[in-house]
Amino acid sequence: MDRKDNQSPQGETARILVEFLEVAITSIVFLKGVYPSGAFERRRYMNLVVQRACHPQLRDYIHSAVFGLLPFIQKGMVERAAVIFFNTDGIPVERFVFKLAVNQSYGSKVEDANLEFSLRSFLIKLSVSESLTKVLPRDYRWEITAYFRSLPEASANKDVEQWIPTDTRQWEQPPLLTPIKSMSSEPLCVQLYIEHPSLSEPKP
Amino acid sequence: MSMESTRSANSAKRSFNNNSNSASSNSNSNPSNKKKKTSQKTLGVAWGSNSRSSSRSSFSNSPFSNFGSYMVEKNRKLQNQFEAEASTSSHGGSGSVKPIFDGVSIFVDGFTVPSSQELRGYMLKHGGRFENYFSRRRVTHIICSNLPDSKIKNLRSFSRGLPVVKPTWILESVTANKLLSWVPYQLDQLANNQPKLSAFFTLKRSSVSNGASTHAPCQVNPEAEDSSLKVGTSGDTYFSEVSEPFEHSKQISGESDDLVDENSNASLVEEPANSSGKPCEVAMAVPSNIDTEDESSVKNYLQSNHYQPSALVSSNCINNQNMKGSPSSTVSEPSNQSHSTLGDPNFVENYFKNSRLHFIGTWRNRYRKRFRTLSDGFNCTSSNIKASALKTAIMHVDMDCFFVSVVIRNHLELRDKPVAVCHSDNRKGTAEISSANYPARDYGIKAGMFVRDAKALCPHLVIFPYNFEAYEEVADQFYSVLHKHGNKVQAVSCDEAFLDVTDSEGDPQLLASKIRREIFETTGCTASAGIAGNMLMARLATRTAKPDGQCYIPPERVDDYLSQLPIKALPGVGYVLEEKLKKQNVWTCGQLCMISKDSLQKDFGLKTGEMLWNYSRGVDNRLVGLIQESKSVGAEVNWGVRFKDVKDAQNFLSNLCKEVSLRLQGCGVEGRTFTLKIKKRRKDAEEPTKYMGHGDCENLSHSTTVPVATDDVEVLQRITKQLFGSFHLDVKEIRGVGLQVSRLESTENSKQGLERNSLKSWLTSASARTEELCKNNYVAKESSNQGCEGEGDETLGQLCGNSVGLSIQMDSNTSNGAACLNEVSVPPPICHLDMGVLKSLPPELFSELNEIYGGKLVDFVAKNKGKTENMNHTLRAYSHEKIEGAMKEGQAALLPSMVFQNEIPVENKAKQHIAKEVPAVSGAESFVPASGLTKTDLIPSSLSQVDTAVLQQLPEELKVDILEHLPAHRMQVFSPNVLLYPTEIPLEALGTKTAENNSGSKDFVLDNNLWFGTPPHWVEKFKVSNCLILNILAEMYYKSGSTGNLSPILQCISSVSIHQLDAFQDGWDEAMYILCELLKQYIKLKIELDIEEIYVCFRLLRRFAMKSEFFIQMYNIVYPYLQALVGENYGGNLHMSLKD
Repeated sequence: MDRKDNQSPQGETARILVEFLEVAITSIVFLKGVYPSGAFERRRYMNLVVQRACHPQLRDYIHSAVFGLLPFIQKGMVERAAVIFFNTDGIPVERFVFKLAVNQSYGSKVEDANLEFSLRSFLIKLSVSESLTKVLPRDYRWEITAYFRSLPEASANKDVEQWIPTDTRQWEQPPLLTPIKSMSSEPLCVQLYIEHPSLSEPKP
Repeated sequence: MSMESTRSANSAKRSFNNNSNSASSNSNSNPSNKKKKTSQKTLGVAWGSNSRSSSRSSFSNSPFSNFGSYMVEKNRKLQNQFEAEASTSSHGGSGSVKPIFDGVSIFVDGFTVPSSQELRGYMLKHGGRFENYFSRRRVTHIICSNLPDSKIKNLRSFSRGLPVVKPTWILESVTANKLLSWVPYQLDQLANNQPKLSAFFTLKRSSVSNGASTHAPCQVNPEAEDSSLKVGTSGDTYFSEVSEPFEHSKQISGESDDLVDENSNASLVEEPANSSGKPCEVAMAVPSNIDTEDESSVKNYLQSNHYQPSALVSSNCINNQNMKGSPSSTVSEPSNQSHSTLGDPNFVENYFKNSRLHFIGTWRNRYRKRFRTLSDGFNCTSSNIKASALKTAIMHVDMDCFFVSVVIRNHLELRDKPVAVCHSDNRKGTAEISSANYPARDYGIKAGMFVRDAKALCPHLVIFPYNFEAYEEVADQFYSVLHKHGNKVQAVSCDEAFLDVTDSEGDPQLLASKIRREIFETTGCTASAGIAGNMLMARLATRTAKPDGQCYIPPERVDDYLSQLPIKALPGVGYVLEEKLKKQNVWTCGQLCMISKDSLQKDFGLKTGEMLWNYSRGVDNRLVGLIQESKSVGAEVNWGVRFKDVKDAQNFLSNLCKEVSLRLQGCGVEGRTFTLKIKKRRKDAEEPTKYMGHGDCENLSHSTTVPVATDDVEVLQRITKQLFGSFHLDVKEIRGVGLQVSRLESTENSKQGLERNSLKSWLTSASARTEELCKNNYVAKESSNQGCEGEGDETLGQLCGNSVGLSIQMDSNTSNGAACLNEVSVPPPICHLDMGVLKSLPPELFSELNEIYGGKLVDFVAKNKGKTENMNHTLRAYSHEKIEGAMKEGQAALLPSMVFQNEIPVENKAKQHIAKEVPAVSGAESFVPASGLTKTDLIPSSLSQVDTAVLQQLPEELKVDILEHLPAHRMQVFSPNVLLYPTEIPLEALGTKTAENNSGSKDFVLDNNLWFGTPPHWVEKFKVSNCLILNILAEMYYKSGSTGNLSPILQCISSVSIHQLDAFQDGWDEAMYILCELLKQYIKLKIELDIEEIYVCFRLLRRFAMKSEFFIQMYNIVYPYLQALVGENYGGNLHMSLKD
């Protein structure tokens, strides 16, 4: 948590966003039942009951992945962050996509309360969205993937290096989208939707 | 028939050893068996113990595969035995013995005197049947002397709906040598003869006696006839004892139709019913004195009468089924009771048909319709009498115990006997006495008392059922008399009214006695009257006068009178208020006077305090004739409501909605707020004392407000169901349901749509007012008109032009209130008069104008109606130049008097205005035939005719109002950057069809952002559209909280009935086009940042599309566009799942 970034509104927004992403991603993992529910503990975030991973590795993975995005988000380079569930062949089955847009030119002070209010609605909606999701196959894996507007140059920052280019397999057909929640309150616009393979997608 | 195991089945010795097989296999006596004499002669079979254990042991090594088959076989054998014996006994015995118990099959339960064997003997002898084992199918009567408590409590599962009768019934039937009605012999423990709710709702029950039903047809039917006759002849036959049995059992079912007819004429039939009660012997009277107006009420009555007999019939059958403990006891019964209660589709309807409160409640409506003219005429004059308040004389006339005296008006012999009216006369019932006559009141019988209590006080109390038709008849007669003697009548209720007799000559007291005498002569019922200086005192005077008297309280005696009057006597002082006052040690009005107004208002609230203060001094400022408009319309059922499941409840609700909708329509109003009230049984509440009453309940209510007032059944039903759903109740706990509609709007107003408070209505009235003021304007125009006046058609064309001019003239007047025009005494030529104005003139003004024109005006209006048709065609033939020339002159002449000029100093703008007025008229020609709108509308028929520059300068509200009244087909044109569009269109173009204009305007729409601004532009556009769906959308924008998002708007729309939205023809394509455009622009706007909103919108739209043709089309048009954009932005397609 780089407090030094707090002076610019973008820095502040990005920090809140990243925090939120950490919680949201944990929620998704919890929602999908990737791990037994005992692997999570109840915590309070934005005055909501949320889940937090107990296992240090899991917690670390989510935390470091998301906080590794922070500098890119501040620069507005991250277009989407996705939680992708694969089957054993590495073909995605379901993807939870956060579409992010941070207004870089937004100058005035961000109202934390407003932002939190909007972000909270994601977590609420997410907790009741299980019916929208698919039942996952056995032996699936998941990962966090970020889509950048442009590939970042090699940077000295250690955090950044945690993110490596990837070539996750894509669907051949355009996927079906199920929007879960959208918010757009200056300077941040976040949309969460689920992607499923289209019906005409060739089955593996 | 499988019987659920009941406690009695296991515990009682000989009761219900049925199992699932017994029914299926009880093949009734096949003929071969009949002959076969069984060797067994055991008569003691009925005693044969067949408790399960013993039977089981007996068949453990028997050839029967199981207990069931054993019982089947046993039953069969017993039957054969019985039949064999029966044949021998009837052969062996005297052949003359009548088979009185034909069709009766008894089952004897428990110890009886005489014994079951003796009873069996009787049945053998007299053609009845005797069952050793209970079977719902074969048994028709259960005979027993005593029942254990558990069976009483669980009567229905015990008796399966069959009558439970004492053995004396059989003995006495044998003695009488005919089958007596079993009803009087019902087991005392059960004799709860009050008709069940279901009884009111059962449909024609002729089927009861048909077919293989073993449901004691012969017992039921005489009752049916009996009771219907009782109803039918309204009391004449009252003394033909109910209990007296009749023999013509079966014919009745076939004749039930006749019965109905007969009943409908009941009040007209004066012929006493003969004691045998054969329906065919009662003459069919012609319903002569029922005027056409009342036809519907006759119909209703016909139906309700139809139900009444059946009511009593079924009550007899059902009585035994009353399960006191069970909440679902009214829920539809098995087999024969399938029509009962809530299962009955006409439940609510019938409930209200039998409701006295409903009668009173809806009576006013009826009254108004009937005496509308009278009371209207009176209302006009009422304002004039305010001045002479000092010497007013108010008379209050009240019929004496109306509900009783009407019913017994033809029974002189009952006049001095205690009589009460109640829907049931079961002496043990909990029906409430609704009205009792004075002799009955002497016994302490009061309204609201249970019948059983009343009977306890006065055993010989005679109870009559309601006779709603008679009530209506008498109420009408009553009011006819009142209206004859005074034109200021205020109806309070069907039997009570105030008269303002200030203006009547002669002594009010004499008048009162005259009125009372006349009432007595016409109706046969007595009335009391009170006369005093105001309504309060008159009413109190009546109180003293009753019964059958009159009382005058002169002003000087008011104080005397009041000083000792108990506070309770004051109208408006009810139980609660009385208790409060008594706590303050106030018992009489005299004591109340001691309290200051301030402290009264402090204790009881401003209004009540003032009322008390006034009333205790005999002050009442109300004027006779001020009828309060009802603020809400609704219906509530709190009796007999028992639901088995949600379906019952839903069914009930939709019927309730029907009722409410009918009432709304009856009152000519539509409502916006809907309140659903539910009475829910308290957790610890026991079954109410009042039979089928609601008992101790929690009152819950939810309400909702919809944007558009409605009286539509479907909308009501949907809203109600939504509301009902929001309660999350166990339907079994519901004891009462009421639906109330408030925020009423008169139907006429809402039909006129938005015209209320709009510029148009203002304009019309303004034009009426200023018509004469504007005459100089006409004169000015006359010169220009003269050119074309040669041809009639031309003048009409001119008329169009004038109307346009006139409307603008009005605008000028409105925007500049000071614009004072000279009065000119010369009326404009008749042909210049605007039809729209004429039509909307108040009648007084119209007749005044008509006088000025020497009566030609009426002809003109009539002629014009016909002419407008032709006008359209002839106008078309016009050369544009000709009109242009004429109009230019006209407008030029008109302009000086226009205020616009002041507002638009630039001269060329004014010129532009002139130029534009010209196309306006020619434009109107082409639109009028196309759209079929009122030709001589005051407002320019399209936006192109309005000077946009002027329009822009108008205040916002005015602008909106003007736009609102422009037809839709041109509204697309109105957008900020195309304001000058119309002026650029050549005349020829305007004269062409609207479609072309549309094609032109489409581009503008595309360029424009409909979603730009707050409120978005489309809102304005849609508001002024003449297309219903667009109007609704615009309206919903505001209702939904003006968020600028589409989904709340759509959500609001879903509260309106969707197929209503399909109910428009004109402008379908345009509406479609503009809506698709709207959606596309919205998608564009939101796609990047808020896909969720779009998703929600389209899911809603798809839901609409399932119900509406319009939305299907729209959805299909926009959907590909949506997906394309989603693909562009998100690289995928929106997943519109098909399941919801």
